[in-house]
Amino acid sequence: MWKYTKKLQYPVNIKKRDPKLAGYIVTQYGGPAGELAAAWQYLDQRYHMPDDRGKALLTDIGTEELAHVEIISAMIYQLTEGLTPEELKAAGLGGNYAQFGNDLFPSDCFGNPFNMAYIKVAGDYIADIESNMGAEQRARATYEHLMDLTNDPDVLAPLAFLREREIVHYQRFKELRNYYLEQKEKAGK
Amino acid sequence: MNSYNEIGYQDRQNLTAMKNTTSGVNNNNFNKCNYVQQVTPNDLYGAYAGFIRGNMFPDLYNQYKISRPFEVEPMNEQAQLLTYVDAYAFGAHDINLYLDTHPNDRAMIELYNQYRLEYKNALDQYEKQFGPITVDSDAILTSPWAWNNSPWPWENQ
Repeated sequence: MWKYTKKLQYPVNIKKRDPKLAGYIVTQYGGPAGELAAAWQYLDQRYHMPDDRGKALLTDIGTEELAHVEIISAMIYQLTEGLTPEELKAAGLGGNYAQFGNDLFPSDCFGNPFNMAYIKVAGDYIADIESNMGAEQRARATYEHLMDLTNDPDVLAPLAFLREREIVHYQRFKELRNYYLEQKEKAGK
Repeated sequence: MNSYNEIGYQDRQNLTAMKNTTSGVNNNNFNKCNYVQQVTPNDLYGAYAGFIRGNMFPDLYNQYKISRPFEVEPMNEQAQLLTYVDAYAFGAHDINLYLDTHPNDRAMIELYNQYRLEYKNALDQYEKQFGPITVDSDAILTSPWAWNNSPWPWENQ
């Protein structure tokens, strides 16, 4: 089960509203390389990992990704907090306002709703873990693109934190993949 | 401030003098084919230094666009105490992931347990002063129901 801790993994305190940027960052909420997709991909795959090592790593990284969903949500919330419909419209978020008011909605930057088909499961633990390595690399690249689109230190700081987490997760998945390949080789499979 | 000394927090002092200066700089190890991580507890950043980087491991540290990590600058005592909770929780968590793939690394298991205790200590102090952020905290023995109280994590401080 999961237990809530009433804090973010990394603090978000954005002073300047920037609805346009919120409209880009939303892809890390509900887009193809987003945190929601990553969390569900790992938490879904863990049931058929071949041993405890894989079950532990997928559970722990999947859980951390849920905390990243919350960081991204906090960023979107603060970047758009208190803005008028006119201001949202001027930033290209008039459609969001029409459908969702000021609520958050997981989509990519083009407004396509989050799609569970983003998650990769193949019934093959090597294929699954390699898709996770890919997911971490794609998320890292997306964070770099988002960092290219802003110079606000209040936004860059959590983006840099999240990008760095992708690097560490990538290394852990790579270690797990390599370990399983070695085990397979030893077993002559 | 006193409360930080009480929890033995030294990481701010360690910030500029990182334990491992040669491997602490920007590097591309994570993208090396079959890079194998071999670390001892002394190789790691301190909890705060790792927390602001999002990475406890200097040999995996790679930054983009920014030239140095952002300091977390708490606006008040509550936010500052929370930063210690954050830092220790982060240190323990990043070592947890490392141990998932290095389950026989005894020295790192000890370091995990050090951070786990520092986290519990910092959490306990925070909750005593500012109310519960975990629903099973002793600080929840209050009326009215203290779990409802602000700040909520996503609110600008």
